[in-house]
Parts: sequence; structure tokens; C-alpha cells
Amino acid sequence: MALVPLSYNLRSLVVRRSATLLTVLGIGATVAVLAGVLALQQGFATLFVENGRDDVVVFLRQGSTNEGDSVFSLERAQILMKTLPDIERPIDGPPLVSAEMYLAVRREKVGGGETNVPIRGVQQGTFRILGDDIRVVEGRAFAPGTDEVVVGSKLADRIADCRVGDTLVLNTTPFRVVGMFDHPGPFKSEIWGDRDRLAEALERPVFNRVIAKLKDGVDLGELKERMESDPQVPCKVMTEREYLGSQTTAFSFVLRVLGAFLAAIMGVAAVFTATNTMLAALAARTNEIGILLSLGFKPWAIFASFLFESLVLGLLGGIVGCLMALPLNGVDTGAMNFQTFTEVAFAFRVTPQVMVVAVCFSLALGLLGGALPALRAASLRPTQALRRD
Amino acid sequence: MPPFQLVWRNLTKRKARFLLTAGSLAIAIFLLCLLRSLVVALEAGVKAAAADRLIVQSKVSLFVYLPQAYGTKIAAVEGVERVMRWNWFGGYYQDQGNFFAQFACDQDELQAIYPEIQLVDGSWDDFQRDRQACIVGEATASKYGFKVGDSVPIIGALFPKTDGTTWDFRVAGIYKSTKKNVDDATLFFHYKYLENALDSGEGSGPAGVGIFVVKMSPGADRTEVMSRIDAMFEQGPQVVQTTTEAEFQAQFVSMIGNVPLFVSSIGGGVMVAILLAALNTMLMAAREQTRDIGVLKALGFGDGVVAGVLLWQSLALCAFGGGAGILLAASTEDSVARMLGTVFPGYEVTAGTLWSAAGATLLVGLVAGVGPALRARGLSVIDALRRTG
Repeated sequence: MALVPLSYNLRSLVVRRSATLLTVLGIGATVAVLAGVLALQQGFATLFVENGRDDVVVFLRQGSTNEGDSVFSLERAQILMKTLPDIERPIDGPPLVSAEMYLAVRREKVGGGETNVPIRGVQQGTFRILGDDIRVVEGRAFAPGTDEVVVGSKLADRIADCRVGDTLVLNTTPFRVVGMFDHPGPFKSEIWGDRDRLAEALERPVFNRVIAKLKDGVDLGELKERMESDPQVPCKVMTEREYLGSQTTAFSFVLRVLGAFLAAIMGVAAVFTATNTMLAALAARTNEIGILLSLGFKPWAIFASFLFESLVLGLLGGIVGCLMALPLNGVDTGAMNFQTFTEVAFAFRVTPQVMVVAVCFSLALGLLGGALPALRAASLRPTQALRRD
Repeated sequence: MPPFQLVWRNLTKRKARFLLTAGSLAIAIFLLCLLRSLVVALEAGVKAAAADRLIVQSKVSLFVYLPQAYGTKIAAVEGVERVMRWNWFGGYYQDQGNFFAQFACDQDELQAIYPEIQLVDGSWDDFQRDRQACIVGEATASKYGFKVGDSVPIIGALFPKTDGTTWDFRVAGIYKSTKKNVDDATLFFHYKYLENALDSGEGSGPAGVGIFVVKMSPGADRTEVMSRIDAMFEQGPQVVQTTTEAEFQAQFVSMIGNVPLFVSSIGGGVMVAILLAALNTMLMAAREQTRDIGVLKALGFGDGVVAGVLLWQSLALCAFGGGAGILLAASTEDSVARMLGTVFPGYEVTAGTLWSAAGATLLVGLVAGVGPALRARGLSVIDALRRTG
């Protein structure tokens, strides 16, 4: 029941360092690509989900999937805002509810080309609901009722006319950019202004969604069901977190499929390279195997020994791959979310889950690459192996 | 004439290595074809666009609708022969995952302005006569099994039916496009059907026209017609931008522009990594042949012949690997196109793609072959024989 000492394999890897390095790099590159795509997906999804609030609800028109599709007439929005008993209405102030207008507008990118930037016309209620999540970092907030806008912090460097002091022309009306704001979530890729002024400039006399803070103890499930069949304003109710999460499903799915697809193709190639390296290792060490066999090691021990060696190769590749992907963490990027057809800025996030997936994948590659050579090694006979030089 | 039998024997001496290296090459070349075909698919629509068609759209946003009255005004512009209304319908069949584009358009103009839409089944007359009729692209029809005479229920996400039911279209024809600017995945139906439903309150959604498609009269000056139309609406109520069909298509490519770039840069990196690994394996294999070279030379083969053997080995290996990759790309064209289906239509492995793949294959073969060949040429018999390896 003797195993071949593990140090034998580790030393072998060191002796054949150039081949080892090649294989480790091959597996590492594969793993890095997978980790990179997953980090992109994580960054995108968490930007939306982690920064959505559970105590804020979003009302959309029934059947719509995002605020671009959703429409409330002025009258319906008023009914909702004035009469719904579940909305928090402080005694000493206005109710915590706000109707917003939303439109993705065509803007020029700084480097040339066009993209769609979300414009949100908000009422003062929005600021009361979101509170400290929205912070003005440069200039000042827009004055209600005026042709002024504030821009999200991620836009200034990417979109033309989005610096404090610039003038943005919307349809035929010029708007002055008076401030820049920050938000931990996706709002920092948006332009905000007064809802009534924007609605007039853009000729959109409607609201796209209503948001509100609920009273403590409101049963959300019951509210959803009740509003679905509301006789006056039937609508879809979601928490902000649920809403933001639902905006990421398509893009996340595409990134996952893309990651899996690339990983599969590269994985096959990496397995080929690993097998090649192990076969070469085997050919060079036939003699040693003969010695091991004549010392009394059983074929299964030889098999385990070679498999262990390729698992080490896989693990090293996984670590190298993670190291290659790690510098991506926190790097800003932008992508078109084709669910809303707007561009969103976010950062790569190499989370622990991403690394666990990456290392497991690399171990699997090592295992697959080592299987055939290990089998071959185990099936050698001592005399045959010793005779070769 | 190099001894080809020797080349072949050398290659197949280590079968596993031969197959694995050729396999890695095949994967890299396959990936090259696949990625290039994706980019080709994206640009196909732009290249095939008609020169005599213009698109009038809102300058503000993709999601802003133009007043109905613009239609008659545009039709009166000098140099305009025909005008068609065209609305994105944004519905889905049974489930949100079943995506294909639907457009409402003036049915008689569609037939006149788009000669590339050719019916392969059904009749135009039937489509023109029945208000609820539609024509469907071949790809979508075969994917969901739609036949002429079938009723296709579409759930309106952007234009919901007020009573919550589906919009029912009767298939009057199946079309195939003769050019790439129109894909084979779309459903076209009567604009009037949508308009009437919105007027009667049967359906709800944005009023107005998505875009106007203009066919210019023969000989009209394109830039002049474009600026005449733009100037007419400069003061609002909705500012428009008139572009050629090619520019209109290109705007969508530039909006999702970072996705193909992203895919190609990752894929390109992957490909280079795989090729390098294959290259390294081949160089290693060549070095192991040093003693064989000495034997050949000692037997009296000339320097040129020996160098030729090594070069041809490399070229033959690449021909096998690259050839397999090219075959794989060509033979999977249909299934990949079906997989991308109605969401990303137009996947085609063009002859140009295959030629560039063949070029890349040859290049790797030369790079991997020339070095060892030159070395073999200069090696003396003694040096070569002295080496063990």
C-alpha cells in the first residue's frame, strides 16, 4: 500500500521547468479568461443588485419589463401618489413618493461615436426617498423648475457636454449642467433634471415610473397582489432591489454563456497542451518508472503519482490565472446593457466565488490532461520500461 | 523533392502528440473563423444597405416617436418618391425568451420599397388585403414552425392589449431576403392594424411613428434631400436626423460596438495563446529529432533535403490541424447560425474568412518550420549524432 513519495513529482516538475512553465501558462491563460469574464459579470450584476434598496418600491405599468416601456398618465400617477395608503406619509412633511420620467437619449461619446444615456426627470420626492445615497460631489443640485441638470460622476469623461458648466441641448431646449452627483449604484451613469422641464423639452407629457418608501410593516406580497388587480391603477410593484436585479438578467446570461463558451474551447486546448507535456514527461522518465516498478511500487501508485503531478500543474495554472485576473479587480469599464439599450459604467470584480470557480476549473483541466499519460505510465511493465534509454 | 514518406513516418511516430498538437491548432483556427464570422455578421447589414433609401428618426433618442403629421410633410419634399411608417413593436411569442423582431409598417410601401424581401411561400396580395395579416422571415418561421395560414399570438410588451390578451397575426407569407440588410428573422405587419387598435383603445402604448423610411426618386441628390428634411423640423416639435440606411444600421453596430470588440480581443488573445503553445510543442519535437538529422546526414542526404523534411513536417502538421479547424468552421456554419438564431441573425462563414484562416495556418507552419529547418541545415553530422535526446 505504498504511495510514490510526492516529493518525487514536485522535483520532477522543477527539473522540467520549461515544459512545466509552458503548461502552467497555458492553463493560467485559460483560467484568466474565464475569471475575467466572470469578474465582468459580477461587477455588472452587483452594481445593480447590491445598491438596490429593499425599503423602496418601484411601480411600473402592468406587463412592462423596464421603465423605458412603462408609462403612467399624469392622472394615474396622481391617483397612485395621493391615495395609496401604504406609502410613508410623515406628519411634518410631504409624502415619500415621487413620479419620474425616463428616457435614453442619443449622446456623443467623448472619443467619437454615439451611445444612449439615460435621462431621468425627477421630482423632489426622489431625493427625499434616496436620501444620502445621492451626493453632489461638484457644483450644486439643480434648482426645481429650471432648465438645469446634474450629471452622474461616471459620465463626465465619457460623454460629450457632461462637465459642470457645459450646456446640453435636448431636442430644441438648452439645459445647463450645474453639478455632478455620485451614487453607489447605476444612477451614476445617468443625467438628472427637473421632471416637468425635461418632460416639456422632450415632449413627453407622461411619467414612466413611480417610486415610494413604504410604511413600516406593509406586507409587500399582499401589496403586489392588490395592485395587480387594482381597479383604478393596475400596476406591477417591485422593490428597488428586485427591479434593478431584473435589469441585469439578459446581459448576465450572455456574459455567463460567453465565459462558458470561451472556457470550453480554451479548456480543450489547455487539456491538449497538458497531455502533451505529461506525455513528454512520461517519455523522458520511462526509465525512472521502470525503477519505481522494480522497487515494488504497484501500477496504481504510479497512476496516482502521475495524476497528482498533473493536478499540481492544474493548481499552479489556476493560481497563475487568478494572479493574471486580479489586476482587473476595480478596473472601470462600460458596456451596453441591451435590456435597456443604455450604456452602464461599472468595475470588474474578482470576487472569492470567481476565484473558487477558476481554481476548480483549473484542477479539472489538470485532471483531464493527466488521465491519459497516467494510464499509460501505469500500464508499463518493469522490464520493458527499464530497457528503454 | 523531399522524401514525403519520411515526413509522414516522423509525424506519426508519436501519434498522441501528433493528434493533440493538430487538435490545438484546429481549435485555434476554428475560433478564428468563428470570431471573424461574428464580426462579418454585424457589418453585413451596413454593407448591403440600399443607396436610394433614407431613414428619418428622432435626433433626441431612439425611443422618441415622431408626429404622424411628419409623414405627409416628408412626402412633399422634392426628391422623395415614397414614405413608409415603421414602428418597433417589441413583443414576444409565448415567452420573453422567444425573441424575434416585429415591425409595424405600411404594408403596400413595404413591398414597393424593399424589393429584397421575396416571398418563398404565400402571397403579397393576401398580405395586403387582410388587416391582421403578417409576413414572417424564414428563420423565425422554421424555428417556431409557423406556416402560411397559421395564427401567431404575440404578447405586446411595449404595446399591451388593454384586455390583457395577445395580438393575433395571421401568416400570409414567408419571406427570404436577397440582401443582408434585412434579416430572415423578422415579422412585418400592417401599421394600420396597430394604429386602429391604439385609436380605439383596444391597445395602449406610445402614439407616433418610430421612423420613416424614405425612398428617393431616381436621380435625386442624397445630401440635399437629407438636409431639406432635417431643416423642415429644425424648430421642433421633434428635431429629426435623416441618415442613409447604411448609417442607420451602423448606429446599432456602434451602440453594441464594445461587445464584438470585447469578444474579438478575448478570443484573439486566446487564439494567440493556443498557437504559441502549439508552436512550442512543435519546436520541442523538432529538437528531439536532432539525432535523426545526424543519421540522415551520415547516410548522405544533402543539407537541403534534411531541412526540407523538417519544414514539410511542420507544414503538414499545420495543414492537418488548420484544415480540420477550417472544415469544422464550415460544417458547423448552419448549426451555429441556428443557435444564434433570431437574436443575432446573419452569421455566415464567408470565403474570405476561410482564406484568412488558411493564411494563418500557413503562417504558423512556416514560423514553426523555418527555424528548425535552418538549424538542421547548418548542423554538422558529429554535433547532431553526439546529442542524446
